[in-house]
Amino acid sequence: MKANGNHTIDLHDVKKVYRGKIHALRGIEMQVHRGEIFGLLGPNGAGKSTLVKIMMTVVRPTTVKGTMLGRPIGHKPTLEQVGYLPEHHRMPQYLTGRQVLHFYGALAKVRRAQRNRRCDELLDTVGMSEWANKKISSYSKGMLQRVGLAQALMNDPELVVLDEPTDGVDPVGRRDIRDVLVKLKDQGKTVFLNSHLLSELEMVCDRVAILVQGRVSQFGTIDDLTRESRRYEVVIDGLLPDGVLGSFENARSESLPNGTTQVVLPGTEASDVQPLLDTLRQQKLTIVSVRPMRESLEDLFMRAVMDPTTGKALGVGAASNGTSAKGASA
Amino acid sequence: MTQTAAIFLDAYRELNARKLFWITMILSGLVVAAFALIGINEQGLRVIVWDVPFPLTTELMSETTFYKTMFVSFGIGFWLTWIAAVLALVSTASIIPDFISGGAIDMTLSKPIGRMRLFLTKYLTGLLFVGLQVTVFCVASFLVIGFRGGAWEPGLFLAVPVVVLFFSYLFCVCVLLGLLTRSTIASLMLTLLFWFLIFALHTTEGTLLMVKFTQQQQLENQVSSLKHDREILAAMHEGDSSQENIARHETRIAEREQDIQRAETVKGRLDTAHRITMVVKTALPKTSETVNLLERWLVDAADLEPHDEMDDEFAAYEADPMETAAQQLTDEIRDRSVWWIIGTSMLFQVFVLGLASWIFIRRDF
Ligand SMILES: Nc1ncnc2c1ncn2[C@@H]1O[C@H](COP(=O)(O)OP(=O)(O)OP(=O)(O)O)[C@@H](O)[C@H]1O
Ligand SMILES: [Mg+2]
Repeated sequence: MKANGNHTIDLHDVKKVYRGKIHALRGIEMQVHRGEIFGLLGPNGAGKSTLVKIMMTVVRPTTVKGTMLGRPIGHKPTLEQVGYLPEHHRMPQYLTGRQVLHFYGALAKVRRAQRNRRCDELLDTVGMSEWANKKISSYSKGMLQRVGLAQALMNDPELVVLDEPTDGVDPVGRRDIRDVLVKLKDQGKTVFLNSHLLSELEMVCDRVAILVQGRVSQFGTIDDLTRESRRYEVVIDGLLPDGVLGSFENARSESLPNGTTQVVLPGTEASDVQPLLDTLRQQKLTIVSVRPMRESLEDLFMRAVMDPTTGKALGVGAASNGTSAKGASA
Repeated sequence: MTQTAAIFLDAYRELNARKLFWITMILSGLVVAAFALIGINEQGLRVIVWDVPFPLTTELMSETTFYKTMFVSFGIGFWLTWIAAVLALVSTASIIPDFISGGAIDMTLSKPIGRMRLFLTKYLTGLLFVGLQVTVFCVASFLVIGFRGGAWEPGLFLAVPVVVLFFSYLFCVCVLLGLLTRSTIASLMLTLLFWFLIFALHTTEGTLLMVKFTQQQQLENQVSSLKHDREILAAMHEGDSSQENIARHETRIAEREQDIQRAETVKGRLDTAHRITMVVKTALPKTSETVNLLERWLVDAADLEPHDEMDDEFAAYEADPMETAAQQLTDEIRDRSVWWIIGTSMLFQVFVLGLASWIFIRRDF
């Protein structure tokens, strides 16, 4: 095997120009490791679905180099080991939930005996057992989403690609889906997730990429991406005497309205904050709380989509020429 | 295999869910039932238990011939190739637009199955619909002709491939249009229009041919009259006819020669016009001819020529140009080879399907 043997997805130079000169993707570089949950986020029209569709051979790329499960992108037989839930999917209305699973399972080359087994299993997993024999046309949005997820897992895939799987799903369902994803990860499968629900991604994703106007703007583990912003917030009772922070160059203080003062010290390790605590204790100050803080994914996202020159969020959709998104590709 | 079976099963379920499939089936059943209810005897037609006086009696044709004729002229010629075909188009026109609708196509395209295969399988499911319909119709007709007419005629089942073939000419156009317009109604309407145009072309060609043969016949008659006139003239010169008579006769010959010249020009134009229609026709599918093949074969296979005896009787009479031309027309059309009819139609189909697959394979959904 090649050096990229533990990359489930390894993309280089993925470009897509839709008809009408819409540059949806402008050179994507991205690696997804085996056995991780990978989150792809970005504003509307950033090209997330386009990227996924290229991997799933639904859209033909303008250029693509790279592999999925060790095979070139676009290699059809590879898809036997991939499960996919498209956004805005529409399944045949005249089928029941069970028939849907059988149909798409069969298209993914799953044998009948195995389909029967997986069917019951998955319907149970997504909590749709009771509705298995009802027509799809009578399902609600969230129910469709659950069946859609089950459908993507029929072939016991190595890689699961989900485009906004929690769209329209209730909080309980979202947790169920999250649990399913974690379980998949525990089984060593790889999950590729597109979502706008940042807090959810934050909960499950090992690594994320933020796509802005067809380019990868941020890429890495959430920890890495937020490392710079990691800090400790120490709250003390009363005001902070002058000169206490003299030896802590990075520390800032701010008095809060309720008569307390907050001291913020950048740092990633607990040991970083101990000297500050010692100093404060020596001053006989009452420490109310010490909290490790970091930027949320949302903050990160906002930072990524901000145009540094104007300070405004970049517009929705792909740029219709190759240049206007310079700010996003920092 | 699993995949193909799944697509066909799904297609069946889709048709099944669509009321039209069963409506067409039931209508087909009713048509055959109507066959079974109509009989023929010495007085005329017999509808269920009532006798209806009618010129068509068992003295003219046997019960077997009656049923076979009904099957070919009404069952195939009218029901299957017009009414049932329109119904079939209506029920299958939505196959491709539904298939490629956003959200639905993503699910299938992302499966480990080639686009070309996916598309052609989907196309075949449409033909399956018609195949099923025709098969059911043929089985029922087979039984009716067997029990009521007393002849067991397996040749009837030739109708299945022929009607499916005929339908495939229209369906491939419908599929291409469905792919281009993404709309059921638009593709259906345009396909019906296409069908109508083909039919109009077919009729035009037939008419041109008929006119051409009539013209030719008249021309031949005129040429032989001219020859006759010339002989008379020669006789006149030898005999002792008056100058006046000879002059009159000469004028007549001159007139006739002019007529012939004019007729030849017309014939030349007709030839050109006919040749042009034939070229256009060769490039297009031949719906009517394909269905007529069935009649041609059934006549041979099931010796179904209702007018045989009558032809002999009429043969004694002097043929008038129209009559001869009609006969020539029938012969000419009969003589068109199966390979020309089916081969060129299939070429058209291969071209249209190739174009459609190419579009389907290259499209971003
Ligand atoms: N079939 C298509 N033809 C032309 N342009 C398209 C097509 N599909 C998408 N686009 C364009 O490509 C760009 C990226 O679209 P895409 O659907 O990938 O965005 P997305 O990141 O998934 O957005 P969202 O968060 O809204 O789902 C958009 O500007 C969109 O207008
Ligand atoms: Mg999207």
